[in-house]
Amino acid sequence: MPSKNIVFMIAVNTENKKEYQYSINSWKYFCKKNNAELFLLDESVVDQEEMHIIFQRYYLFDMLEHNEIDYNQILMVDADTIVHPDCPNFFEKTNDEYCLVHDDGSYDWILRGMEHYHKYLFTDEWFNFWDYGNGGFQIVNKKHKSFFKEMINLYFENKELIIQMSNKFGIGRDQTILNFMLHRHKIDTKLLSYKYNMTCMPKKEILGDDHLYSKLGWVYHFNGIPDKNTNVPLLMEKTYNFLYDNLDD
Amino acid sequence: MKKNVVWWPAIVHKENAQKYGDYNYFEYTRKSWEYWCERNDVLFVPFTEPVEDDLFRFRPNWQKIIFVFDELERLGIDYDQIFLADSSCMIKWNAPNIFELTDRKFVGWNDRDNMRWIYDSIQGYKSFFNGFELDQYSYVSSGVIIFNEIHKEVIQGFKKLYLDNIDKFIDLQDNIVKKGNDQTPLNYWLQINNVELNLDLPIAFKLTHMHRKDLFSHNWQDGDDKTPFFIKYGYNWVFNGIPKDTRSTLIKETWDLVGHNYNMDTAKYDKILDEMLHKDTAKYTTSRKLKLDILEKFGNGKYKDKTIVEIGASQGQSTRMLSHIFKRVIAVEWDDWNLEQAHSNNSDRTNVEFVKMDLYNDKWEDHLPEDVDVVFIDAGHEYYQVKMDIENSFKRFGNPIFIFDDYGFPPGEVKQAIDEKVNVGDLVIDKFIGEKPEDLVHASGTKFFDMEGVICNAK
Repeated sequence: MPSKNIVFMIAVNTENKKEYQYSINSWKYFCKKNNAELFLLDESVVDQEEMHIIFQRYYLFDMLEHNEIDYNQILMVDADTIVHPDCPNFFEKTNDEYCLVHDDGSYDWILRGMEHYHKYLFTDEWFNFWDYGNGGFQIVNKKHKSFFKEMINLYFENKELIIQMSNKFGIGRDQTILNFMLHRHKIDTKLLSYKYNMTCMPKKEILGDDHLYSKLGWVYHFNGIPDKNTNVPLLMEKTYNFLYDNLDD
Repeated sequence: MKKNVVWWPAIVHKENAQKYGDYNYFEYTRKSWEYWCERNDVLFVPFTEPVEDDLFRFRPNWQKIIFVFDELERLGIDYDQIFLADSSCMIKWNAPNIFELTDRKFVGWNDRDNMRWIYDSIQGYKSFFNGFELDQYSYVSSGVIIFNEIHKEVIQGFKKLYLDNIDKFIDLQDNIVKKGNDQTPLNYWLQINNVELNLDLPIAFKLTHMHRKDLFSHNWQDGDDKTPFFIKYGYNWVFNGIPKDTRSTLIKETWDLVGHNYNMDTAKYDKILDEMLHKDTAKYTTSRKLKLDILEKFGNGKYKDKTIVEIGASQGQSTRMLSHIFKRVIAVEWDDWNLEQAHSNNSDRTNVEFVKMDLYNDKWEDHLPEDVDVVFIDAGHEYYQVKMDIENSFKRFGNPIFIFDDYGFPPGEVKQAIDEKVNVGDLVIDKFIGEKPEDLVHASGTKFFDMEGVICNAK
């Protein structure tokens, strides 16, 4: 039997975040429809004081192997996403490469992050900002196992610096590091269409009661949203109900 | 000979002047394109006089695209590729030559700024185009596009479409859809006609809606560099999506920051000069001005079949400049480390040969050819060394043209050797080149007492 594709999501500390259940349910639907398997990380691998939970996704291959899960390609997706029930099977569009979606939300955030990490960690390295991918939707496969080890190694070699920078500058946990590392290790990447990771939707003016975003793409990423603690749960609930309420199981 | 063209629509619509902030910004964006075109050997073609005077019936945005081929041909321009760049675009002085990246396809950039506006516009024109399903992810901004002669037929067809349906288009544009002018109809037309689009060029060439992307920001967390991100990392800054009455102010403020980079006097050679280091940051090479003077003196095409020998190539910075002028550059250097660096700095130049030799002990005839037209002397700076370099050049090359670096270098032994040859009539000074002593910025702080360099002819 051929190995399955996997959708992997971090679902730790979800007790107070019922909106993540909408995300999980939508991805369950996708998996069922596309013969994939949903794998949730519901317990951290290492102490979260030691490593932020987001960075722990780079233990992916260890986790899969520890759980004896055979795998083909794996989508690592953020829990603040909802996938459209008709989303095409993007695993067929990867050419077996490391796939991301370009992040064009706030270049202030992106470029500050790039400049800070260039100054303090990747001092001789730089890459074009138009190649920068969002970390909330990454498709990988067995070829990338050693690269994930490099990510973990880099983290522990520079743990204090990374934590300090992340806290001081507010430039995310893993995303900019991931982009520098992809460049450093010359990993072949493919940038998929915005349809597959629709970040910062308010800037595109497509969020609204008419659910215009649902006509323009497949994976809705509820980030870059003002007053997020109030609005994200609301928007995810509305989106899920709009897309899935009338569907059969 | 065919040339690439920047087609720059800048028609003043007087009745709309209030809305567009009186078009004062044209002055600055135009200067940016003039410089960039000169730098990249591209023809700048401003479109400032409308073909049709009725600017409500024929909005400038329509005229810029439907009359582009008619106008270029009326002006007798032998065009190759055409870059249509709106007047609200300011090009960065050192933006790469985009014409080299197009694959000769119709180039556009998917517009994902205000996706609702675009969606509404697409829906608004859908019935006119018989319900055609337009792919929004192939929808491009019509203010930044590149095309060529193979697209003439489709653009002329677009003109006919407009002329045949002008009243309908005006009604849609002004009364019904009210979302743009030519852009959405052009996108329908391109997709209906299956025009192959290249949508893959870097977004840096189409930085629209910069406020929306937070590109006016700078790294406010880190010290002194307040340069806005769009200037640092973008190539083509499109000042749109902002209140139109603020455009002129914003563009002028930008020009005040960067205008000094657009020097028309040096535009022709700036691209070459940006490829290498100069004396202000690398003490072992010449100044930018000296290299520019050599380019201006010898870059007129007369030397493209000639050979130059560079005596003392050091790390190959000037060598690289010379390789843009001469057919053959023979660069002589003794130090292994310098030679390694020089090789690396010229690895993509195919007309450079490096020769390792001891200029003052080896026989020149064992290492260097006779048929040399110009010699660039920048090796040992002691009197006897410069004297030997001159005499050996006469002996080996006959009567070459001499270029000397470091004429005014202290304590003055270079100058002494040259002046002596001038005084006895072996050399005739053609012109002094490079920086004056008071203007020369030397990476290690050395102060010159005379001009940086000199060109001499053999008597």
